Amino acid sequence: MTLLAVENLHVQFSTPFGAVYALRGIDFELSKGEILGLVGETGCGKSVTGRSIIGLLDENAEVTQGRVRFENADLLQLSEADLREIRGNRIAMIFQDPAVALNPLFTIGQQIGDVLRAHGADLRSEQRERALQLLNDVGLPDPAQLVDVYPHQLSGGQQQRAMIAMCLAAEPDVIIADEPTTALDVTIQAQILDLLRMLQRDREISVILITHDLGIVAETCQQVVVLYAGRVVEKGSVETLFAQPQHPYTRGLLSALPRAGSRGRELNVISGTVPSGLERIKGCAFAPRCGFAMPRCHEQQPAFSAFGPKQQSACFLHEPLNHD
Amino acid sequence: MTEPLLRVQGLSMTFSRKSGFFSRVGEELRALNDLSFTINAGETLGIVGESGCGKSTLARCLLRLLTPTAGQIYFAGQDLLALPDETMRRMRQRMQIVLQNPFSSLSPRLNGFQLIAEPLRTHTTMSRKEMMDEVAALLAEVGLPSEFMSRHPHQLSGGQAQRIALARALALNPDFVILDEPTSALDVSVQAQIINLLIRLQKQRALTYLFITHDLGVIQHIGDRIAVMYLGKIVEETSSERIFANPQHPYTQALLSSTPLPDPSRSRQRIILPGTVPSAVDPPSGCSFHPRCAHVMDQCRTLYPAARQTSVGHHVSCHLYENGA
Ligand SMILES: Nc1ncnc2c1ncn2[C@@H]1O[C@H](COP(=O)(O)OP(=O)(O)OP(=O)(O)O)[C@@H](O)[C@H]1O
Ligand code: SF4
Ligand SMILES: [Mg+2]
Repeated sequence: MTLLAVENLHVQFSTPFGAVYALRGIDFELSKGEILGLVGETGCGKSVTGRSIIGLLDENAEVTQGRVRFENADLLQLSEADLREIRGNRIAMIFQDPAVALNPLFTIGQQIGDVLRAHGADLRSEQRERALQLLNDVGLPDPAQLVDVYPHQLSGGQQQRAMIAMCLAAEPDVIIADEPTTALDVTIQAQILDLLRMLQRDREISVILITHDLGIVAETCQQVVVLYAGRVVEKGSVETLFAQPQHPYTRGLLSALPRAGSRGRELNVISGTVPSGLERIKGCAFAPRCGFAMPRCHEQQPAFSAFGPKQQSACFLHEPLNHD
Repeated sequence: MTEPLLRVQGLSMTFSRKSGFFSRVGEELRALNDLSFTINAGETLGIVGESGCGKSTLARCLLRLLTPTAGQIYFAGQDLLALPDETMRRMRQRMQIVLQNPFSSLSPRLNGFQLIAEPLRTHTTMSRKEMMDEVAALLAEVGLPSEFMSRHPHQLSGGQAQRIALARALALNPDFVILDEPTSALDVSVQAQIINLLIRLQKQRALTYLFITHDLGVIQHIGDRIAVMYLGKIVEETSSERIFANPQHPYTQALLSSTPLPDPSRSRQRIILPGTVPSAVDPPSGCSFHPRCAHVMDQCRTLYPAARQTSVGHHVSCHLYENGA
């Protein structure tokens, strides 16, 4: 069941150098109880997509086209008050750096208590009881002690857990997690990813997991959306997309990864770099770096072709040549 | 047997913190604790471990940017810590370092030519014409056209800046290059370009690498041997093939198992380590890994396990392997 759908989303920023075309048509659907990975290289629009959904874009941003469907509403049309309601109750966001999101002046318990109060837990004793339970749920050791400490007294991994506990206090349906483990060591990252999987399994929370790490996607997500220069180039279930990547960019990315068995041979490279976002792109954004580019790739945007029920890729190679 | 290019014996580095808001006076931080290893000429030794395990302190000690509190470093047969400053200055030309963030190591005021020519100017008597030719040759070697001579760092992408940093490191024709997370700030597609370049340069110039990284995929690809560090100690050291096929230390096993692989068809049992890396100010007694270890035994809590050879070229510091198990 589709819980949230991003449709043809275009976002641009005005800057002293001109307009930055950050999102140039993003489409994907998030189903209830699944973890969806948004993956791509730096600047491809992962964070802007996440922030657009809950109306947390920077001042200089403008949504020029598109919708974000959540239940019967288009989130992009909501008033600030309604959006705040959604952010408080339904869709929560966690960031790479929990220290920024947690208030340094209040204890962990006070911050969780605030969220609980907003959700009808009036009694202090009840708030404390629930906060202890939540800290325990996210796997923090010794909640009775941690509930009274300030964020700086926690390690990075513990802060991220506290942040997740705070999100859970609002009992959200969707968590958007923007690179939640990028600042953490691998053994701590494994703990946090395990926690996200557990929340999805036990509470049926849907998660949009933003990451640049294809390994994290493969091990954590059911669905994956690959972005390139503000567009979706390929999307599908994790099993089919990793086993049979269709888009030249996805293929390039996967074969550029060093891994068991690549030892001693040259890694495949994708030459060149990503476009800056300052130019309008007429054709396929990947065309300047693509080994298969044809004349029309520079002129028109390829539409999605389906590969089975679960996978779609936007590339002219998938289309018959006749209407060129 | 030929002498290895680098031989490190019993290297320790203890920082004493004189004051500080959160630390007590006289507190000591043991960043490196009795490390011993060798690197043969032309070889790549990978150093892997999590933040705070001492990887970068090790790099700085090897270049004598820090003076270790104990131990010896032999480079090309010479005892580095005993060299007079002037000799060390010349020796350092043969040892270079490339850091994770090229933008922090490249001065924003200098252009590509000036950045790469700087070591030539200070250490050689080349004419300007010779320098131009040399810089152009170095740029070509790292895959950049000569117009990059006039570019400043802010006009470079991350991958291009890392190529300039490499060209600069190669200017004095070193034998040994320390690569401290050289690809960690780069995107996958650019990372692959730099890794290929590093391997190519190593072959062409017979370079010896110490490759510091937290990325096991990268080190599996490029490393000949790998040393795994935990809290200032090397806990396991062996060939790249062996460490992935047969990891023996429980920490190495957990580290491998925690690393996400881009292959969803591979279902595997994850080892999720509890807790966090303890502080090096107050490390756990005995084996410093014992509070997180699933196999902990009584002696682990009191006695640090000595490194032992479990098979030829495979060294592990863990009580589980005490009786040649
Ligand atoms: N406030 C802003 N003003 C101008 N441009 C912006 C702003 N915020 C984002 N951008 C641009 O929008 C594009 C998409 O940025 P976004 O942060 O979504 O990338 P990302 O995929 O999250 O990258 P990363 O992996 O580095 O986090 C980039 O070109 C970025 O420079
Ligand atoms: S549409 Fe053309 S340029 Fe784009 S990925 Fe496909 S072949 Fe390459
Ligand atoms: Mg981002």
